[in-house]
Amino acid sequence: MKPLVRVVDAFHWIGRATLMVGQIIKVIPRPGLYMNAALQQAYIMGIASLPLVLFMAFLGGAVTSQQTGAQFTGGLPLWVVGSVLAASVLTELGPILTGIVMMARVGAAIAAELASMRVTEQIDALYAMGRDPVPFLVTPRVVAGLLVFPPLIVLADGMGLAAGWFVGLLAVDGLTSADIVYGMRYYFRPWALIFSVIKGGIFGLAITFIACFVGLEGKGGAEGVGRATTTAVVLTTLVLMTLDVLLVPLLKAF
Amino acid sequence: MIEYRGLYKSFGPLHVLRGVDLLVPEGETLALLGPSGSGKSVLLKCAIALLEPDQGDVIVDGVSIASATRDELRRVRRNLGYVFQNAALFDSLTVAENLMLAQCDETNQKSVRSCREEAIELLAKVNLEPGVLEKLPAELSGGMKKRVGVARAIASRPRYLLWDEPTTGLDPVNADNIDQLIFDLGRSLGVTSIVVTHDLDTAFDVGDRIALLYEGMIRVNQTPAEILKNEDPVVRRFVRRSQIEPALA
Repeated sequence: MKPLVRVVDAFHWIGRATLMVGQIIKVIPRPGLYMNAALQQAYIMGIASLPLVLFMAFLGGAVTSQQTGAQFTGGLPLWVVGSVLAASVLTELGPILTGIVMMARVGAAIAAELASMRVTEQIDALYAMGRDPVPFLVTPRVVAGLLVFPPLIVLADGMGLAAGWFVGLLAVDGLTSADIVYGMRYYFRPWALIFSVIKGGIFGLAITFIACFVGLEGKGGAEGVGRATTTAVVLTTLVLMTLDVLLVPLLKAF
Repeated sequence: MIEYRGLYKSFGPLHVLRGVDLLVPEGETLALLGPSGSGKSVLLKCAIALLEPDQGDVIVDGVSIASATRDELRRVRRNLGYVFQNAALFDSLTVAENLMLAQCDETNQKSVRSCREEAIELLAKVNLEPGVLEKLPAELSGGMKKRVGVARAIASRPRYLLWDEPTTGLDPVNADNIDQLIFDLGRSLGVTSIVVTHDLDTAFDVGDRIALLYEGMIRVNQTPAEILKNEDPVVRRFVRRSQIEPALA
């Protein structure tokens, strides 16, 4: 019986999530309801997360150029380091590392905040006033995610490339700036950067939406807040990695 | 008018409400008594669809809550104020912002200045100084939060008010002040109220009628004078205990 109950619960959950998507879409054409709050959220998300996003991008770029140099030295021309660095950072490391940082910083915080509001009856108070939490709490955060993630990812891409370049010159014997530039230019296509930005937007939507939805589903006091936060982080990790795989054909399409 | 019709509500194996029938006529105040955990707050929450009953219906202002559309429900809720047991203030907003949220909606955008003036009047009604306007709920004492919660509930000038233990945790002076406010809103503005309380003083001070929720059903619903004469042992025991406990405290 229990597995059946879980399956039914899962369908209920999916149904409620779908309804929430519908409500967000309905609110989107009325920016007056959410835009001020969305810009405030975007500022909080973006500025506060920027140092950590850049630091992670630095590490990602630094590791990539060193690993590539160590594995390909003697086998392939050194300019390959530049190509691998550009390909890895733009299509994978920039978006996914930013996504992971934002999931941990922003997603967990949103889920905890909304779950805490739920268990302390603040969400009930909103309903009691005839207000809906979707335009008031969810849409601003989701729109903020959509606004903030693409520029953060562009900055992360830039930092990753610069770090890979700088560390590659220090750590890979014989590698020159000319090799890096040649390799990067050999690989680079504008679509790779556009793909990176699109991926960022999709990740931003996924992280903020899941965090809001799971947070609003929170129940049961402090333990419930903890459970909602954990669920949001675990679920977002799975969804990000799944989206990462599903988006590969989009990269190949152009 | 608020009318409960055969309301049932269970949480898993726990049957909290077992067929509640209750009528609160327009402009009247009903004080709802009952043991802790008897479902008094559940009854209030069912009236504005914060909880969905398993069976039965609540009619508020002529609208069936069980079959109300989203817009109907929103309209009912905008005519209704709810005082939460733990205030339920938005903790990321200041007191002023909490009140403004209740004062204005998307269709009624007042100027900040007029909202602020109204907010000061609302705070005065619950015996709070204008100085608390810029404070966050975390900077307020429990009693102050409770009073801001009351101010927020009456901010939209509702026609219906649901009070969930409005005087619990307040000092006697402020408890009397809130009792007076409930009384005045009922008498002068014709607000229809349900006041869930454990405080018999509050129940007798504000209630046109007093109901006792016992074992999931309304055991009695009478005027205060009738309640005092009621010979039902459950009612007698409850009224006597409620009278004795504050005296011993």
